[in-house]
Amino acid sequence: MIEFRDVTYIHENGVKALDGITMQMDAGETIAIVGENGAGKTTLIKHVTGLLKPTSGAVLVDGVNTRETSTATLSRKVGIAFQNPDHQLFSESVQEEIAFALKNFGFPPDLVEKRVTWGLQLFGLEEYKESSPLILSGGEKKRLTLACILAWDPEVVILDEPTVGQDAIQKEKLAGTIKMLGSTGKTVVVVSHDIEFLWPLQPRVVVMKSGRIVADGPAPELMTKKEMLESARVAEPQLVSFYQALSRRPESPFVDALEARLWIEEGEASHRGGSAVT
Amino acid sequence: MDKILEIEELSFRYPEAAKKAVDSFNLDIGESEIVVLAGPSGCGKSTLLRTINGLIPHMYNGDYSGDVRVAGSSVRASSMRDLAQIVGFLFQNPENQIFMFTVERDIAFGLENLGVPRPEMRRRVDEAISLLGIGNISQRAPHELSDGQKQRVALAGVLAMRPRLIILDEPTSLLDPKTAMELVDLVARLRKELGTTFVVVEHRLDLLVRVADRIVVMDAGAKVLDGTPRDVLFSEAADGYGVAVPSVTQVQKMLARDGLVADGKIYSAKELASIMERRGA
Amino acid sequence: MMWLSSGFIFRKGASRYHRLDPRVKLLVSVLMFVTALIVRSIFQLAIVLAFMVAVAAIATVLKRVARTMALTATFSALIFIINVVFTRNLETSALYASRFVAIVVSTSLFFITTSPDELEQVMKMFRLPRDVVFAFVTAVRFIPVMMLDALQIMDAQKSRGLELEKGNLLRRVRNMIPILIPLVVNAVVRSGELAEAMESRAYGAVPRPTSLAVYRAKTVDRVVAVAAVLTFAFTAYSFYFLLPTFVP
Repeated sequence: MIEFRDVTYIHENGVKALDGITMQMDAGETIAIVGENGAGKTTLIKHVTGLLKPTSGAVLVDGVNTRETSTATLSRKVGIAFQNPDHQLFSESVQEEIAFALKNFGFPPDLVEKRVTWGLQLFGLEEYKESSPLILSGGEKKRLTLACILAWDPEVVILDEPTVGQDAIQKEKLAGTIKMLGSTGKTVVVVSHDIEFLWPLQPRVVVMKSGRIVADGPAPELMTKKEMLESARVAEPQLVSFYQALSRRPESPFVDALEARLWIEEGEASHRGGSAVT
Repeated sequence: MDKILEIEELSFRYPEAAKKAVDSFNLDIGESEIVVLAGPSGCGKSTLLRTINGLIPHMYNGDYSGDVRVAGSSVRASSMRDLAQIVGFLFQNPENQIFMFTVERDIAFGLENLGVPRPEMRRRVDEAISLLGIGNISQRAPHELSDGQKQRVALAGVLAMRPRLIILDEPTSLLDPKTAMELVDLVARLRKELGTTFVVVEHRLDLLVRVADRIVVMDAGAKVLDGTPRDVLFSEAADGYGVAVPSVTQVQKMLARDGLVADGKIYSAKELASIMERRGA
Repeated sequence: MMWLSSGFIFRKGASRYHRLDPRVKLLVSVLMFVTALIVRSIFQLAIVLAFMVAVAAIATVLKRVARTMALTATFSALIFIINVVFTRNLETSALYASRFVAIVVSTSLFFITTSPDELEQVMKMFRLPRDVVFAFVTAVRFIPVMMLDALQIMDAQKSRGLELEKGNLLRRVRNMIPILIPLVVNAVVRSGELAEAMESRAYGAVPRPTSLAVYRAKTVDRVVAVAAVLTFAFTAYSFYFLLPTFVP
């Protein structure tokens, strides 16, 4: 689906932001890209739609080289939700805002209307249909930018730091949306620092450091590699720390608090059961 | 010990708003406490913060009733000039707080505004630089700094004014976890070395839960929870208010409901694991 | 955008020119500016431009100045054409066109070698009101930040299918709206945040703020200032009275 072939990207000022990146993102995967600030995460995702072109190497989306087509064309397939909604919102009304991309991509008017309505409903924004997007709250703006992207139904959705400034309830909804997208076969890529948010989603994790990919694999496997995480300055999920500190433990780390609790309960039961026998 | 902050029946409504942003709010904070202010988006946290350092009512108008006192002085009756020397405010975006082109000169900004004589200014700027460990970047320009560095510079600028209470508005939102941890350690150290009181608005409680003395939760302008981290995180109401209970604490909370691990502390992942081991689970 | 960036954004430099007192740098640029205005032939202007290039080289900003010259030249070509159409005189038209480049470069030289902090100092020394100085310096300080905003906005809108490179002139202008509105909104929000930060750090508390930085003219500053004035005087005199007899 999306392929990076030995991609290197050097900034104007000489800084190497990406160094020999080779990787693939397949349809239907949920991928988390983690790493400290400056590791190259945002630079990487900008290459997917051709916002940045590699200094050497190539990026292919469904076989098409990003150098040979425009960002607008690539964006039809790959929707990127950038971190700051204030960099996007400009229309007179929320519904026009959602319609903007649809019109740019050449959707016919009746389909535009349908998608706009659907987007408003999906993100609970119907009451703001006619309002100016600029007066919405921070959380509402973020939902709006997501609605804008999902309205044109891209196959790939990339989220750049979607949890910044979001409270726990909003994060839960977001996690639900990501799961929903995954279940409908979409490729979802999340760039985030928020390990606690990412962990329950159990995505494929790509760890970046200094422009390179230092690890790439399923979350339960990667997030237990303490040394690697430390050198990449990536936080260890709390439940993994808990899991690691136990001497007797299950196959893979607990996905959420409930799983941990249930496992402890089982342990308690067998302990009690054991002493009853003795 | 005298309270450094007293908020008494504070209500505030913005001019064009239908509802109050802050509603009959009461809060007392003692000197050198680290208090975390949490609550769902739109609950009025930002407004409340601005009533503490005086931006409300001195910069923003509205329906204001009740009283806010810092170090005994009423905020409403004091000038921003006086308040700036008691309460410091570190805003969310460090970029929009750095005015000067050189780090060192920006740290001096507040002191220049107060007309502090140069020798004293020099002393305080050097002190702030050393407290924050930014001596190696003191001559740099803002665009040459990382987000974490910019934040330290902005904090140095606040510290140079020697406030007794510092407000931090979502300080970790732009930082990666390791840098965020470093900031939290810094806050704890400043509290210990200088006795500064901190009010921190934060969603990512997992980072602050170990240093906070108290957590205050707001919803729709009113105070709904106020207690030690343990009391607040373990309360049934916490989940309803969008309070992000850290996952290991969630485990501890579930165990506590069943009568296990039911004491006053909040345990870290390692601590909880060793307790479970000792019980032979 | 390129033009603005290469021509007027300050970037730190270590050359001796950078280290001169900002008043001297201002003097040099003003004198170059005035000289460009009083020249009477293309030949004289060429000398002035050569001199500017030399100063740029000393200040190690040659590449940027060259770029500014090239970018300004495209606009000055327009001036050339208009002048030729109206005056039918090739030499004067060329003079006006290249004079424009010279004026821009002399101004640019000042801004790219003088930091916003130094600008502040110069403005204060000219006894400009404190609020005006602050507004100006803050604006300069945030130009690079806003340019970055503009780039990010363009990225975000391109990602929604906005084609900035296609279409006729009218279409392209309309396509700027999704860029300009967020830019303006961001600027307004930024101003609000800056205002809060200023208030919170007691801006305006005393009528005459003190200053951490000390600016004292050094010998080299005085020397360069005197040299600049003498050069100007000599050049002006030559151009007016001596050179015309040498020009072929």
